[in-house]
Amino acid sequence: MVKIVVESLYFRYPEASDYALRNISFRIVEGESVAILGENGAGKTTLAKNLNGLLKPTEGSVKIDGVDTRNLSVAKIARKIGFVNHNPEHQFFAEKVEDEVRFGLRNFGFSEEAADKTIREVLNVFGLEEYRGKNPFQLSGGEKKRLAIASIMAWRPEALIVDEPTIGMDYAQKLNIRRVLRSIVSEGRCVIVITHDVDFAASICERAIILSRGEVIGDGRLRDLLSDDTLVEKASLRKPFLIELEKETGLTGLEEDFDAISSTLVEVFQKCRS
Amino acid sequence: MSFLRAFKYRRKDTAVHRLDPRSKFLLSTILMAVSIVFTDIRVLLALVFGQIILLSLAESLREWLSSLRGLLFFFAVIFATQLLFGGTLYTGFILSLRLLALSSSMSWFFLSSTPEDIGRAMSVAGLPIELTFSFTMAIRFIPVIYDEFQSIYDTQRSRGLELEKGGFRNRIRNLMPVLIPLLVGTIRRTYEIADAMEVRAFGASPKRTTFKPLRLKSGDYLVCAASAILVALAAYLKLLGIE
Repeated sequence: MVKIVVESLYFRYPEASDYALRNISFRIVEGESVAILGENGAGKTTLAKNLNGLLKPTEGSVKIDGVDTRNLSVAKIARKIGFVNHNPEHQFFAEKVEDEVRFGLRNFGFSEEAADKTIREVLNVFGLEEYRGKNPFQLSGGEKKRLAIASIMAWRPEALIVDEPTIGMDYAQKLNIRRVLRSIVSEGRCVIVITHDVDFAASICERAIILSRGEVIGDGRLRDLLSDDTLVEKASLRKPFLIELEKETGLTGLEEDFDAISSTLVEVFQKCRS
Repeated sequence: MSFLRAFKYRRKDTAVHRLDPRSKFLLSTILMAVSIVFTDIRVLLALVFGQIILLSLAESLREWLSSLRGLLFFFAVIFATQLLFGGTLYTGFILSLRLLALSSSMSWFFLSSTPEDIGRAMSVAGLPIELTFSFTMAIRFIPVIYDEFQSIYDTQRSRGLELEKGGFRNRIRNLMPVLIPLLVGTIRRTYEIADAMEVRAFGASPKRTTFKPLRLKSGDYLVCAASAILVALAAYLKLLGIE
């Protein structure tokens, strides 16, 4: 299984005078679910693009299973680490949903028979079987996002990076995306979620890496980090709903029974009262 | 695409940036015309040198230099076509120098003039607002479309697409997964912008007011005089038989 090691990473865009990322070090091992959090412009997407080789470090290194990303092509890294762009329409070009999934499989040399079988399976898992022959641009926002993830998960990468998975999603769509990501985590695959949505992150990820102005200001258990008032304020975040509720009411253990995405306040209070 | 950097406006407070776009446009057009009508190496070198001074005054020399790498491809094409069709290395050099003089004459103008300024200058010249507005929007959206292209390209590379692989035909075919989403996105954006303009009453009144009216200042008259001298000098050189 994949292991990502980031050591003293500095990154600067070609025409920029300042670094977008400074002195970043961490490691992500198999089966981890990690949220990369931080304010706008903190460097979250830049960091993600360094993890999958789209950007190469200016200084320091990013190693995938011990190999420096400078020595690997993006395609080679993509086979192990999938990346889902925040805008799913940036990847759609095929006429049919099934061909959109087929694209990556062809690039990675799957035979047509193996690709057909995989497409059937993956569309089924992601609840997109009925849209198989539909134009991807005609899907709803949530379906597009699911298709984007499905077309990456088709070749079974060992880790998945998802950039802003909940942007523009309604409640039901958010639940669907969460179900999909949770199922990937439960398979023992590594999931890295880049988001502002702390409730969503808390409902999927155990660990958080918090960025501010290109530097890591927190790395640890998501719950612990997002309970820290100073850290939360510094990263322009807010506490997840359940953590805030526990703090305000003095109650404990709410997180074990509920999650901030699907639970309502009424449900939580009813449980507390009983 | 790196040569496009030489045509992207950079906000700076220099004497060149403060000039009226009409006077800059006049000088830029004359420099372009002179670059086209002369093939004499001394004239072309003088044009490039003069424009390097203009670019330095506009504090944009770095942007211009970084765009030269992109122009290398076009220089290579010029040399190749010259050698293939009976030209010499010297004619290839002269044509490349002419291209450099031509692109520089547009470069300092676009680097120091906002798309809005250019649009205003076109309006003042009597062109219809629909045309000037479309022109301004097209220029303003070049960096946006470039960013989108980069994002789509990155996304498809993350799906195993390797544009550099295979022969020429294969590479063109490999571009489709990048160009189709870009085209769809651009058409969608066009409709969205049209709607956004309509809801803000674009075109409702035939008489439009200007928030920042253009006024020629002493520096602009100086540039206009320099342009006239340049035309006279070019005519004189032609009379002397310099090609």
